[in-house]
Amino acid sequence: MKNVIMMKHLKYFLLIIASIVSVSIPLSAQEKVLPIDSTEVIAVSSDAVAVNVTDAPMEANINIGDSLMEFLDGTGFAMIARNWKILVMLLISFLLLYLAIVKKFEPLLLLPIAFGMMLTNLPGAGLFTPDLFANGVVHWEQFSHAGLLDYLYLGVKLGVYPCLIFIGVGAMTDFGPLIANPKSLLLGAAAQIGIFATYIGAIALDFLPREAASIGIIGGADGPTAIFLTSKLAPELLGPIAVAAYSYMALVPVIQPPIMRALTTKKERAITMKQLRSVSKSEKIVFPIMVAVIVSLLLPAAAPLIGCLMLGNLMRESGVVERLSKTVQNELMNITTIFLGITVGATATADAFLNMKTLMILGMGIIAFGFGSAGGVLLAKFMNLFSKDKINPLIGSAGVSAVPMAARVSQVVGQEENPGNFLLMHAMGPNVAGVIGSAVAAGILLSMLG
Amino acid sequence: MILLEINWTNALNITLLGFGIVFVVLCLLILLLYIFGKVMTPKVRVPKAVRTPKGAKVEISDDTEFHKVQLPANASAAIAMALHLYYSDVHDQDSHVITIKKVERRYSPWSAKIYGINNLVR
Repeated sequence: MKNVIMMKHLKYFLLIIASIVSVSIPLSAQEKVLPIDSTEVIAVSSDAVAVNVTDAPMEANINIGDSLMEFLDGTGFAMIARNWKILVMLLISFLLLYLAIVKKFEPLLLLPIAFGMMLTNLPGAGLFTPDLFANGVVHWEQFSHAGLLDYLYLGVKLGVYPCLIFIGVGAMTDFGPLIANPKSLLLGAAAQIGIFATYIGAIALDFLPREAASIGIIGGADGPTAIFLTSKLAPELLGPIAVAAYSYMALVPVIQPPIMRALTTKKERAITMKQLRSVSKSEKIVFPIMVAVIVSLLLPAAAPLIGCLMLGNLMRESGVVERLSKTVQNELMNITTIFLGITVGATATADAFLNMKTLMILGMGIIAFGFGSAGGVLLAKFMNLFSKDKINPLIGSAGVSAVPMAARVSQVVGQEENPGNFLLMHAMGPNVAGVIGSAVAAGILLSMLG
Repeated sequence: MILLEINWTNALNITLLGFGIVFVVLCLLILLLYIFGKVMTPKVRVPKAVRTPKGAKVEISDDTEFHKVQLPANASAAIAMALHLYYSDVHDQDSHVITIKKVERRYSPWSAKIYGINNLVR
């Protein structure tokens, strides 16, 4: 059986060789005649005079060796050999694909990001042209040479995708625990310290203020917000920041528990919280309208994010647009996620990604996450000094957005000390407050530095 | 040297102001949510007096049976479920009438039988 297959392969191989030889020999042996235009043909046919072929300009002989070398030189392999950075980028994209598929680290986003990264680094394919978006401006006049990913990237550049994703996030979020316990908003605010502490750190590392703000927003643990702000303030850093934000969001169960344990005592972790009050439907309907109006009036720059988040939530809570609610939660969210992931990955070209800045961004991203988690826990401890109804400080770490992963981490760590303690619903309050908090922080940074 | 060249005043201003504004905005929302909760939370009104079947009025004080009744959690859940079914017009009993409706299939080239017949397939 094996021999038969081998013979077949050998047959095809010999056929290919034979066809190459049969084509190349006549090409090299004879002169090629240029195409004759129609007037010449008419003249020739009417006068019945033979055209002297040798009078036509001659074309250089084609040399097999040169042609082959030219062909090989034009392949992606040769381009990779000339620029090792491309190979490194391809390897990074393979690593991210591995993490997404095998380790299941935020696969919904990491998979398209990694594939986008792979596509953009395939040399010569021309799927993404960073020059079209150079200096933070869209060069519309050059769009005739645009590739597929350039068109899709416009959604990121114009801030469309993050807002569409926020509609879906709003439609999937239950703000009930937050309405029942408004103090959770304080924990959500405290967790934003990660953003501002990292901003200072990035400034110290000689980043420009706009770049520092974009790096700091990683601490908000909110992918769409990070992409929204970075696309406005430092679009050249979009690739590393998006990869850092989503990678660390996937690593929340690894990053947060040691910080939570280090900052709390066993007794504090075992605190059982009072049952939350029930929230009426009318409260849930008025809440998104009220928040959208008040936050947008206070911070117009945050209006696109908060407005979309609350629109999605109103669709969910009103109960009158079930079809729209389902669509934004599923189809719209999924389509936008694909486009967002693939285009954000596409910005990670070798030149933009492989530099010291990326390493520093990755380093500061994890610090931002740590500070954010610690901020929430410490404020919860501080509130316990004055509060009659004790708060379990573990829910403070859920103040970084990362919905609902961070709330789940609070629940798991809490149950290690007291298996009968159910912190999930309590942690959902600061968790959704973190989404509002990071959108507000992004609006503030945008209005100050934009 | 780099640290000395940085305009720290601006950086600290943005940090303190930014973090402060986040707190102020969210504190404002907390305040509104408390007011909002007070106004919109459904309240159960306890009547001050009830009439007996004979028509006599009986005053209800805090130590009467009405206030002393403590419902167990499972009873509360059953009552809540019953109220939910009643107010949402959801029934746990169906009409026992089973009707098979004929579903009209619209013509479409995608589902047309003629396009589905392929003589080449054996």
